[in-house]
Amino acid sequence: MWLNFPVFASVAILLWMAATGLFLFSASKILNRLAAGLSVSGTLVLLVFVIMLWQAIDRPPMRTLGETRLWYAIFLSGIGLASYFRWKYKWLVCYSLTLAMMFLSVNLNHPETYDKTLMPALQSPWFVPHVIVYIFAYALLGASSLVAIRNIFVKSSGKTTSEPIHMADNLVYLGFSFLTLGLLFGALWAKEAWGHYWTWDPKETWAFITWMFYLIYIHYRFRNPLAHNKAMMILAAAFVILLICWFGVNYLPSAQNSIHVYTE
Amino acid sequence: MSESNKRKTWQHPWSYREGTIITVTMIVLGFALQIASGGTSFRLAGFPWNLISGVIFLAFLVLLFLFQKKHAVTKWLGGVKAALPAIFGFTFLVLLMGFVKQDVQSKNMLVELLGLNHLVKTWPFILINFYLLVLLGLVTLKRLTPFNLKNFGFFLNHFGLFLVLFSTALGSSDVKTLNMDCYEDQTEWRGREANGTVVELPVAIKLLNFTIEEFRPKLTIIDNKTGKIVIENSRQKFELLDRDAFDLFQYHLEVDTFYASSGRVEENYYPVNEPGSSPSARIKVTNLMDQSVSHGWVCSGSYAMQPEALKINENHSLIMLPAEPKKFSSEVSIVTKDGKSQTALIEVNKPFRINGWTIYQLGYNTKMGRWSDLSVLQLVRDPWLPAVYTGIFLMMAGAIFLFIFGKPKSGGTEHVA
Repeated sequence: MWLNFPVFASVAILLWMAATGLFLFSASKILNRLAAGLSVSGTLVLLVFVIMLWQAIDRPPMRTLGETRLWYAIFLSGIGLASYFRWKYKWLVCYSLTLAMMFLSVNLNHPETYDKTLMPALQSPWFVPHVIVYIFAYALLGASSLVAIRNIFVKSSGKTTSEPIHMADNLVYLGFSFLTLGLLFGALWAKEAWGHYWTWDPKETWAFITWMFYLIYIHYRFRNPLAHNKAMMILAAAFVILLICWFGVNYLPSAQNSIHVYTE
Repeated sequence: MSESNKRKTWQHPWSYREGTIITVTMIVLGFALQIASGGTSFRLAGFPWNLISGVIFLAFLVLLFLFQKKHAVTKWLGGVKAALPAIFGFTFLVLLMGFVKQDVQSKNMLVELLGLNHLVKTWPFILINFYLLVLLGLVTLKRLTPFNLKNFGFFLNHFGLFLVLFSTALGSSDVKTLNMDCYEDQTEWRGREANGTVVELPVAIKLLNFTIEEFRPKLTIIDNKTGKIVIENSRQKFELLDRDAFDLFQYHLEVDTFYASSGRVEENYYPVNEPGSSPSARIKVTNLMDQSVSHGWVCSGSYAMQPEALKINENHSLIMLPAEPKKFSSEVSIVTKDGKSQTALIEVNKPFRINGWTIYQLGYNTKMGRWSDLSVLQLVRDPWLPAVYTGIFLMMAGAIFLFIFGKPKSGGTEHVA
């Protein structure tokens, strides 16, 4: 099934590239609609691929890093679009699509293993909600960090407005609620599978650190609503931690033999 | 920050600065205590002392709130300016855990001395946890009075976390985890603790049957000289033997015969189902480069049987890897001290609960694979679990609250922080 991946991925990337181009250079409403339509189709193409893959391998396609990247690309493009429909920010949808395309390209260059086996511990009704909720949270928080990073660099060119930070807040609150749910689903699952809800396994530890960083952002924003720049810095740092939790843990010496490490 | 620069440290109202000083002091003091205690693991007293100290702690919090609510320090303790440095401090400790491998002996003296390899059982961790509990407890009380429905989400998140931290910390010493080695047709009532101590249990377990369901085995190509897998950087390092024909590396494979369980007699394999038998397959291999064909058996082997590779040519051989377990389960009969007796099927992700104990399928004799007559079960007892779960469900409800209502509108509840 992964053999068809280059076809699906290329179609999605082409659609998204066209959408990004239209978003960037068009002024008319009709062209913007066309762009939105193109990006929706790109996301749908990937969704179809994921469903077919799921059926072909007889297990949820959520076990390997490549598989999580695939979900991430779907969610991120979806979130970019949703925020476009909600707030009409073209740049955010362009950034999200670019990031999603980047993740797809990584998958294209990193051919995936086609492994149907799934260890017994992962065969649980918790598997799908745990991973989906997590990747969705990652995508929302990734989008919030895009807002933050843009703001840190754009700010130097002059005027500050409160709009971007409100958008970052909205994305963080949504993302954080999913992050919390993912973490707690994981705890409930762990109790069923391993006898304890929290064992400070390296992935758990890093997931907790990630959660704490977003907690810091939320509290800081609450108490210091006017210090936009520092808040944005926290948000950017939090995303670095999130990436360590997602990919970096695989390479940390402290995490060898962790049950949570995605297979390459 | 500018107004706090004019204010002297410790002059009210306190700010982030005092919070940072207190948090850092706690961590430093914690590590000092850790060194002084010779790097031992910290363990809270078990029942009933943990319950008593928990009640005293809660009483202390409520009394502090009732009688010193207006005190500047109490007010500060219930605010973000105390909370943020504390969260930072806690994050710092967890970050240390993220980099130092936990629960293994370290060669580094400093790591051992400071207890960095078992951080959750050290003084700094306990102190910061305690401090966070004080802050969470006070802020919950503060938002509860006067009661306002607008603060419901806040209550769910903060009290939920309080309950989780409180009951995990106090309950940790009451958690019992025992491994039990069960052999087929034998009754066992002794469990092993993590440190090796053997304990007699109020439940006896007789293993009636242990079964493993396996995936089809995988095939791959190895180099005859090095013995290493030749397929690199490809999407297909292995192929699952679940189809009749497929390509692997530069070869086309056609499966003549597949036996999930077989034994070898002279040059051939025959289906048998007795201890030690192993999967085998007769395969026709066509080299896609030169169309040369080879034919023969591959077998993954077992504790009783030699594996067999199919030599394709000078360079390459086809091998079968041991099948991976798909599902393993123990059929057991359980008798408790109070005379209850029942049979149960225990498998990974499907534990069985009886008299406050939860029984998990943990492992088996991996050398013998699916012929293992040993099933390792794990028995866990955690009397504080209902409190932890209540906390977890409150937090889940809080997360859904956040999802629906998002960020509190500015001016809404900010005055109480």
